[in-house]
Amino acid sequence: MIERTDAGKIRILVIEDNPGDVELIRMALELAGVDCDLQVIDEGEGAMAYVQRPRNSAGEQVPDLVLLDLNLPKHSGLEILEAIRGNQAFASVPVTVLSSSSSRRDRAKIEDFKVAMYITKPPDLEEFLKIGPTLKDLLANSKATAR
Amino acid sequence: MSPFRDTPIKQKLLAIMMVTTIAALLLSGAGIVIADSIFFRGYMERDLVTLAQIIGDNTTASLAFDEPKSARETLAALKARPHLITACIYRADGSMLARYLRPGANSGCPLPSAGEQVQFTGGNVLLSHPIILSGRRVGTLVLLYDRSEVIKRIELYGTTVLGVLLVSSLVVFLLSSRLRAIIVTPVSQLADIAASVSQSKDYSIRARKISNDELGILVDAFNEMLAGIQSRDNNLKRALLEREEALRETQDTRESLETTLASIGDAVISTDVGGRVVFANPVAHTMLRCREIVGKNLDEVLQILNELTRAKVESPVSKVLREGAIVELGNHTVLVAQDGTEVPIDDSGAPIRGKGGRILGTVLVFRDVTARRAAEATGKLLASIVESSHDAIVGISLHGLITSWNRGAEHIFGFAAGESIGKAASLIAVPDRMDDMPVILARIGNGESIAQYQTVRRTKSGKIIDVSITLSPLHDALGRITGASMIARDISEQVRSVERLAQLNADLQRSNENLKRSNEDLERFAFVASHDLQEPLRMISVYSQLLLKAHSGEFDRQAQMYVDNIVGSTKRMRELLADLLAYAEIGARVDEPLEAVDLNAVVEKVLQNLQASIDETDALITVDRLPTLCAFHGHFIPLFQNLIGNSIKYRSERPPCIDISFEKSASQLRFAVVDNGIGIAPEYHQKIFGAFKRLHGKDIEGTGIGLAICQRVVERYGGRIWVESKAGQGSKFIFTLPQEMLQ
Repeated sequence: MIERTDAGKIRILVIEDNPGDVELIRMALELAGVDCDLQVIDEGEGAMAYVQRPRNSAGEQVPDLVLLDLNLPKHSGLEILEAIRGNQAFASVPVTVLSSSSSRRDRAKIEDFKVAMYITKPPDLEEFLKIGPTLKDLLANSKATAR
Repeated sequence: MSPFRDTPIKQKLLAIMMVTTIAALLLSGAGIVIADSIFFRGYMERDLVTLAQIIGDNTTASLAFDEPKSARETLAALKARPHLITACIYRADGSMLARYLRPGANSGCPLPSAGEQVQFTGGNVLLSHPIILSGRRVGTLVLLYDRSEVIKRIELYGTTVLGVLLVSSLVVFLLSSRLRAIIVTPVSQLADIAASVSQSKDYSIRARKISNDELGILVDAFNEMLAGIQSRDNNLKRALLEREEALRETQDTRESLETTLASIGDAVISTDVGGRVVFANPVAHTMLRCREIVGKNLDEVLQILNELTRAKVESPVSKVLREGAIVELGNHTVLVAQDGTEVPIDDSGAPIRGKGGRILGTVLVFRDVTARRAAEATGKLLASIVESSHDAIVGISLHGLITSWNRGAEHIFGFAAGESIGKAASLIAVPDRMDDMPVILARIGNGESIAQYQTVRRTKSGKIIDVSITLSPLHDALGRITGASMIARDISEQVRSVERLAQLNADLQRSNENLKRSNEDLERFAFVASHDLQEPLRMISVYSQLLLKAHSGEFDRQAQMYVDNIVGSTKRMRELLADLLAYAEIGARVDEPLEAVDLNAVVEKVLQNLQASIDETDALITVDRLPTLCAFHGHFIPLFQNLIGNSIKYRSERPPCIDISFEKSASQLRFAVVDNGIGIAPEYHQKIFGAFKRLHGKDIEGTGIGLAICQRVVERYGGRIWVESKAGQGSKFIFTLPQEMLQ
């Protein structure tokens, strides 16, 4: 169990249009014991609006982690990634790219953007569920770094 | 006389004149003196006689009277005569009566003579005159007269003559000095001219004529003589020149004949009537392979055989001598040289005739006809080639007339040779088209060739055919262009073929483009499809697993089997899609830069990937030191993984032994993967590289795309892949790559 020092649960933004994957991610995190709020945006436009919105007040929070699918309708994951990196508020937010493609080409494209992880969505259930512990470690490291 | 002869003419003339004048004057002077002295003596005699008569008559009386006194007185009158020395009158008895004596004179009185007598004695004249009276002599008168008067007179005359002589001589001298020029000048001029002619040998000089006298005639004659000499001299010179010219010509002719004989290409031998060689030129020596021919009998050195019958041919010498005419050897004659070599020859012999037609010997001319025979054979061969050619080969004169027409031409244009030879080349021109022949012939005339010129011509039946024409100039033996050879080929079919081919090419290109496009479409489709299919497939895969995991307890056997099938098929489909994607991806990435790919690392990675099956099958894998290539990393892992994986997968009962070797040749890199597996029957060697082609059922798993990927990778880099194998005897997969790929 991850201890929350400040009020509320860990907030994870999932930008993913496939509900099957969202469900599997939720399952993986749950099985890994990550107590979190999953905020899901399932299309590019909304995601874009969300990440580009200025956050002046301190009360307006940014997520603790962004899980980004590269293959989205309307705006590609790459554009969203660019927007995230363009918003200072997201400067310390780790981004993990979840992609169905393992191609080097896709990996090469996001090399310029500092992403915490590049995870190819595994076609095997057991493999998929291993994403949970991986993300848990990432969150722990991220908190440690932030602190 | 001699010295006088050599004196100059002008002195001679002077001398002649002087001598003549003096002689004439002397002679005339002497004549006058002599005549005068003769006349004067007579006169003196007569005068004395007369004087004596007068005195005698005057003294007659004195005598008669013997009176001496009167007689003396009479005699005293003689004082008037100074030259009378003394006068005496004798009496008849001879005694002196009276006497006169010139005063101063001393002389006795000469005695009287009997009769009348005049007597010249010494310087005196003595006269005795009888004095007659009445017929009777009474006395005698004697007179002694001094003749010095005569001498004085002669002296006077002589002096006069001498004076005249001197004056005359002077006048003659002066006159002759003037007058001799009339004669001397032309003569000396003539002499000078003669001297200069004889010195200069210039016979065109002429003397100038001054007078019409003998000298004039002499000058004329001299000039005439000079003209004669000049003409003769000219003739002589001309004759001399002609003679020299003729001599030189003869010399030249001789030299030229000698050179000709020596350098003539034919062998020349001449013999005497006995057949003995008297001359042989160098070619004869060479052809007979004999150094000494001259002097030998021709039959000794010249052996001629009939080439076909091998019979000896009659000596041309005896034939010439017998027939006395030019003879030729027959055909097929060969000369057997001294060393036994045989040369085909052409020979003729002719008699050498002297003056009067007598035969003095023979001359033989023969030549090596090897080359000519070869040329004839070549000529015949060429003619038959031309004749048998399917192309039309036509000779055309520079005036555009057809000069030859082969069978090919008859065939292509339909005109027989007889119908076309002599006609204009426009015979086969297409009427409405501009006749290009004059332009072409002009270019040929300049020595140009025109190769592969494509045009149209008309056949006898009026059909227009496409022809390819090559024109080349024809040269005569002197290298002059005499016309053109036209080689024409009917290319109507070809032209149609080319058009068809172009059409086909265009079609092919179009369909190629279509194919390429559809290939590209297909690749894009395969890529996108395999990529996009992966997503839902992954979902099916994960969720069917989830279903099994979460709800397996709730399923009955049948439901369990259904879900198992779903999971199994999903896995297989995932593999298929992954391979398909890999296959499609090989064609992509054309514009990305190549990277250094160390094949040793590649194989190591592959062996790691295959570790499980290697362990499971106890496979022994040996690998050569491999090169580093310029390529894409992602291409070589599937290549080696498929080949090595296949070797493990299709193993025999024995544990797999796999050897990966590499060798570098001049142009390519050659790799081989050899195993001891089940092998492949030859009929499948091609087939196995096709996508989704499998030789085995589900007993051995696989997508059937592995070797297709291998082939696609190798061919993408310009290499080749094939298999050498027999069923049951292992397989050897070989692939080559271009050497340029070496890092």
